[in-house]
Amino acid sequence: MNRIATRVWALLLFVAVLLGGFGFFLSEYFTKGSDWVVVHGSPHVYNGENIGCGVVVDRDSTLLVDLNDGRVYSNAEDLRRATVHWIGDRYGSISAPALSHYAREMAGFDYFNGIYNYGQTGGVAELTLSAEMQTEALEALGDYKGTVAVFNYKTGEILCAVTTPTYDPDNVPDFDKDDPAYEGLYVNRFIQSAYTPGSIFKIVTLAAALENDPEILNKTFTCKGSMQVGADEIICDDGAHWEQDLKQAFCNSCNCAFAQIAMDLGAEVMQSFVEKIGIMQPVSFDGITTEKGNFSVVGADQVNVAWSGVGQYLDLVNPCAFLRFVGAVANGGRAVEPYLVDRVSVDGNTTYKATVRAGEQLISTETAAVLQEYMLNNVTAKYGAEKFPGLIVGAKTGTAEVEGQKPNAMLAGYVADPEMPLAFMVCVEDAGYGKTVCVPIASQVLDIAAKSLK
Amino acid sequence: MAQFLQTLQSANAAYSNVLVSILRYGAPAVAFLLLFRCITSMLTFRREPETWGWLRLESGTRLPITHWENVIGRSKRSDIVINVPNVAKTHSVLTRYDDGSWSITASDSVKGICVNGEVVECAELMSGDVITVGGVNLEFEAISGRLKHKLSQRRTKGSSFGASLFNLLLLTVLQVLVCLAFLLNHGQKAPQTVLLAFLGIMAMEWLLLLFYVCIRRTSYEVETVAFFLCTMGMCAVATVVPGEALKQLLAMAMGLGTFLLIGWSLRNLERAKKIRYIAGVAGILFLLVTLVFGKTYYGAKNWLEIGPFSLQPSELSKVCFAFVGASTMDRLIKKRNLFLFIVYSAVLCGCLALMNDFGTALIFFCAFLIIAFLRSGNIGTIALAISALAFAGVVALRMAPHALQRFATWRHIWEDPLDTGYQQTQSLMCMTSGGLLGLGAGRGFMKYIFAADSDAVFATLCEEWGLVMGIFLLLAIVGLALFAVRSAGLGRSSFYTISSCTAAGIILVQVILNVLGTVDVLPLTGVTFPFVSNGGSSMICAWGLLAFIKAADTRQNASFAVRLQKKEVAVDE
Repeated sequence: MNRIATRVWALLLFVAVLLGGFGFFLSEYFTKGSDWVVVHGSPHVYNGENIGCGVVVDRDSTLLVDLNDGRVYSNAEDLRRATVHWIGDRYGSISAPALSHYAREMAGFDYFNGIYNYGQTGGVAELTLSAEMQTEALEALGDYKGTVAVFNYKTGEILCAVTTPTYDPDNVPDFDKDDPAYEGLYVNRFIQSAYTPGSIFKIVTLAAALENDPEILNKTFTCKGSMQVGADEIICDDGAHWEQDLKQAFCNSCNCAFAQIAMDLGAEVMQSFVEKIGIMQPVSFDGITTEKGNFSVVGADQVNVAWSGVGQYLDLVNPCAFLRFVGAVANGGRAVEPYLVDRVSVDGNTTYKATVRAGEQLISTETAAVLQEYMLNNVTAKYGAEKFPGLIVGAKTGTAEVEGQKPNAMLAGYVADPEMPLAFMVCVEDAGYGKTVCVPIASQVLDIAAKSLK
Repeated sequence: MAQFLQTLQSANAAYSNVLVSILRYGAPAVAFLLLFRCITSMLTFRREPETWGWLRLESGTRLPITHWENVIGRSKRSDIVINVPNVAKTHSVLTRYDDGSWSITASDSVKGICVNGEVVECAELMSGDVITVGGVNLEFEAISGRLKHKLSQRRTKGSSFGASLFNLLLLTVLQVLVCLAFLLNHGQKAPQTVLLAFLGIMAMEWLLLLFYVCIRRTSYEVETVAFFLCTMGMCAVATVVPGEALKQLLAMAMGLGTFLLIGWSLRNLERAKKIRYIAGVAGILFLLVTLVFGKTYYGAKNWLEIGPFSLQPSELSKVCFAFVGASTMDRLIKKRNLFLFIVYSAVLCGCLALMNDFGTALIFFCAFLIIAFLRSGNIGTIALAISALAFAGVVALRMAPHALQRFATWRHIWEDPLDTGYQQTQSLMCMTSGGLLGLGAGRGFMKYIFAADSDAVFATLCEEWGLVMGIFLLLAIVGLALFAVRSAGLGRSSFYTISSCTAAGIILVQVILNVLGTVDVLPLTGVTFPFVSNGGSSMICAWGLLAFIKAADTRQNASFAVRLQKKEVAVDE
């Protein structure tokens, strides 16, 4: 019996396998469990395609949506329409990547309780958006398609980013797929589109010239309304601007002058500058990655280098990426990364808090100062300072030619006020002139911003 | 009953927070206390030394005979060491029987043994007989009736009736708590069936204790642990398929019947040795019948349908295998017996391979390893067997694409979480969602996943009852296994020790494959968790195996599968 009694210890080998294997699992559990719990499709966390737990509020704690129990949206129809592209719909047609990115926090996950939270709602996500500005911007856009966005260029908070066309998630329209009024209905144009920039791109060309041509400030430009480049012609739509200095050319948005500047700098210099400031690269924040832009002039014909210098040819910009660049100009050349989710808390305990992410110095402080001065001049000399009562605004309009429709109206600018450091971007499709279409929209949105922030 | 449920629902509305807290913290606390008490009592009993007789050397020195089965030999690991060159390492075996008689058997390595000057292969011994071992004369002397009586009083104590009663009360509290949790769960399906099922388990465990009291047995830890596992299994059934709760209760009753039947058959070693042959034939027959008439589900042909009933005969074969593997020491010293056993095991595994049931084949193989090692102590044999398995495994994987698929998915479940890795990714997701204390009865998602009440039952229970409860389930199993190891030293016969360790080994291996497969530490094999998984055959098998563990427990008044000592004293005197 002694022999058997000693051999019996072999059974402990199996016990060791069980305990060792389970110990290994536990080590994985406590290191990877927080990823496991939010695996896409988890019915504890998701409701179909979109996140299904937690509550989302705006910067003033106005309820946007309670994601529990099949999503209870805000009572206000216009607010629902203004925010659905950020918080998603019930059927997953519009996704909410920024909320899914914080799924763990939204579910209120921790290793002790799992996602169990005593009948509470889970996490509360506070967005940087202002419900007031969202609805105002939606109203200002009217029936146009496009996007209006405002962000704080010191902190990166996105206060307003509206996209149209939109719809009420509580009252889904029965629309025809081919109806042009609903074209791109599910697209959040602020992050998922790339527009031909038109003249707002002159800010970039101007910056390139200031950084690469030491003589540029002393140059003058003569515009006869059109300019021959090889067999082709560059045209200023509003006629000849005659002799002008750089500031005036920028204010006149003179195509001939900026085509000349781009050609003088040359394709290589323009290309490397655009790449350096990174406006064609996607912007990433809160699990969102924006659409890429485009700028490719190396090897292009001279006339195309000219057209690309005024934001035509193959140029494409994503509104969010361009807004980030305009913010950098307003911020003395240093970019600040935008963000949407400010804080997530569970039962009052903060589980996530956004931090200000100051990016790289895109352009020199001197260049930024000149750009600021010129943009401020645009407003006082051309667009009308009275459009922005009580605010000091610098901006640049654009009218981007797109085949087969009216031009896209564009506007990019900023508020020169340390208490209200806002940069803004307005893109309106199939609309006409930037000055006539976009300036009133920006004016209306900034007016509300001033009232709510000051 | 409907009124009772309604009262509960209204109480829930009024005191929901209090109730939630009681259930959330109370259930694991009670489970912990219960297991702690049972397992410590199972593992910390004092083993009293025993002497059943002496061998007197010519010099007058008395060598004590400390077991019922004693190997005499030169080897240091023999029970009676006679370190003389002429004595073989394993010379002969001295055996005591239930009725107090003794015999001696010569091993293969010697031509025979000399008893009272006569060379024999095997002989009955009486006090005063002289055995000659390699030229050494030993006078045999069995203990007298008076000493025997003393010995029976000094014997290792089983746990007291009071402790058993308290443990069972704890288990009942746990059962009330978990049952309450289901009844209070808003939207629980078939609450009356669930209530009946839990009441049924309680009735069963109390009736068994009552029966033990009647036959003067007091140890109840092993059974309590098994009932704990069954209770948690019922929790899985109640959430996944509440309609099957009574069916599972019936399976438990049948399992308990099997437990008592096998336990009874093991009480008498001579009878058990005979039944062993029947079990051997039955074990093969079960598999052959399945092979011919069986139905194929999910790739494995391991189901037999008889009218409205369906069963997995391979589960019953496991119980038979524990019988077949067992052997008394006097047979163990003959090489031929091990060879026959290897052939038998190979045939069983071959049948299972033909049935495509590789999970069960692996369990049988591990059981075979345990038995082979216990019987021979030969690492070489084990190494040979493992290499044979590796070879067979390669061939099997080439022939069975679904098994290969599982190997391909192993440790790669996140590469295709919604298809090939679905079951495990969902298991892990649900387990982490549950945290340490679970989401509460019926509030998990795992119940919608395939095999949530059988193969993936561990994830289902962890999600609803917490990782802590999952760990308790493993501790319960480990406790049973360690108990088998610890009671081995007390064994009356290697027959009991081997079968008890085989049974514990089969249970352990199943849990290893089930749990570690669910959490992707091992490939998924689709093996049930004994006592916990929903399924009649598996339940019967688990209880059947438990009987072997119980039969090796020779503490005083501990096991119904061991005859009371007092009776024997009365016979002698």
